[in-house]
Amino acid sequence: MISVIGASIVNGYRSVVGIIVLFIETLYWIFIGPFKAKAASRQSIFYQMIFVGIHSALIVFFVTFFTGLVLAMQSAYQLERMGATLYVASLVAVSLCRELGPVLTALVIAGRVGSAIAAEIGTMKVSEQIEALEIMAINPVRFLVVPRFLALFFMQPCLTVLGNLAGIIGGLVIGVGSLGINKDLYIQTTFKYLELKDIYTGLVKSFVFAMIIALIGCYQGLNTKGGAEGVGKATTKSVVISFILIILADCILTAVFFFSGS
Amino acid sequence: MSETGNNKKEVIVSVNNLTKSFGSNIVTNNVSLDIYRGETFVIMGCSGSGKSTLMRLMTGGIKPDSGNIFVKGKDIARLYGNELDEIRRSYGMLFQYSALLDSLTVQDNVSLPLREHTKLAPDIIRIIVKMKLSLVGLRGYEDYYPSQISGGMKKRVGLARAIALDPGIVFYDEPTSGLDPVVGGVIDKLIKDLSEKLLITSIVVTHDMASVFNIADRVAMVHKGEVIAIGTPDEIKNSANPYVQQFIKGSPDGPIDLFKEDIGSEEILDF
Repeated sequence: MISVIGASIVNGYRSVVGIIVLFIETLYWIFIGPFKAKAASRQSIFYQMIFVGIHSALIVFFVTFFTGLVLAMQSAYQLERMGATLYVASLVAVSLCRELGPVLTALVIAGRVGSAIAAEIGTMKVSEQIEALEIMAINPVRFLVVPRFLALFFMQPCLTVLGNLAGIIGGLVIGVGSLGINKDLYIQTTFKYLELKDIYTGLVKSFVFAMIIALIGCYQGLNTKGGAEGVGKATTKSVVISFILIILADCILTAVFFFSGS
Repeated sequence: MSETGNNKKEVIVSVNNLTKSFGSNIVTNNVSLDIYRGETFVIMGCSGSGKSTLMRLMTGGIKPDSGNIFVKGKDIARLYGNELDEIRRSYGMLFQYSALLDSLTVQDNVSLPLREHTKLAPDIIRIIVKMKLSLVGLRGYEDYYPSQISGGMKKRVGLARAIALDPGIVFYDEPTSGLDPVVGGVIDKLIKDLSEKLLITSIVVTHDMASVFNIADRVAMVHKGEVIAIGTPDEIKNSANPYVQQFIKGSPDGPIDLFKEDIGSEEILDF
């Protein structure tokens, strides 16, 4: 029993160190490597941006759109008792931009992109492709991790903005269609209580979530062991760990913004 | 061994007192050997004998516990990062399962080392790729993906990629395993051709006996992490060593008793 606990602590510690090392290596190949050796190929960065961003747009749109619908219905149910259904608009907008937009988008991307990264790199690892890159003197971090990291870093905030908008539209559909609020009034109320800091705190979160998804996915992929089963395990792990870290980071960041008064 | 003949040749890879263990399992035990420029050197042995580990030590994929591996005068056991990469640029390697990047076409796979390590114009790279592919008899397959071609063709593409940068040393990890005898023969012939035409030093890990006697200039037999015999194919064939004889004949009875041995080191190395 004690040995099991000990082993899992040692493994956890190793993973944390491994992820930090991977993060430092990634930063090296983004900021220093291009001047000393070679930069990541622009083509593969754009390719990843299309996969991460464009191909995820639809699913992000739907998830946040329906969340906006649900949020509007639920809050209308509560606000109706106080005769304040108009404020559904601002409630939906603020809670989406500050919280639900960034977090839901990140969870969707962790499930869709993080798992794909872990599975792809994991398969490359178990079929000797990573070793082949190393023998060809091609650094796997530069070649595989950096394009994915940068693609997520730039696309995640874009997707978050899209998610915010989709959620607000969802709220609007309920507000105008079911609660009978005038469309212009709904839009006006939405922006009346939505401040700039609501949006940028959400975007700050999305940058952090992007780094979490990229690093966990790549780390799990690069450390895959033992064939098809290993790839499956790495994929599952990447999603589970990303989910936990996203929620944890969200909690910490929200606390920081809350107590610093922004 | 033709001592006088070999002594005149230039040593290109020199392994001295190399030892490597995984946990309590010693997989390379005090191995010393020299490989000469332009020869085809075969390392043979049972699964788990430590022959793959020996090759991975030579490619710098894993670091030894003690000993040196001098490649062109530099000890790659002590090299990291850019210095190791510099040596590796003169390496080519054909992997057991080809290890082609399956997100890239044949063209892109073969041109990858050229795009990464040279500043050649795309047109010239395309010409070089055509040349390399015709060397392995695969011209016209540039736009196929690895998943669309057969195992033997993948091996040949892997070979074209391995020689893309005109390396001085090419490593072959089980080049003929999993192939039918005809394709295996084709691969053997390619290995021979390349070493004769391009004067490439070939280091081959295999347990395919037919292939060993087809291509080898010299053979080393590895058993339990130790080199137990080394010499020309004829010398190996006529060796009095019972381990060697059992291995060549593929007989289940003899000093190599799999039922008494621990699980092999390759089990651990199989990442």
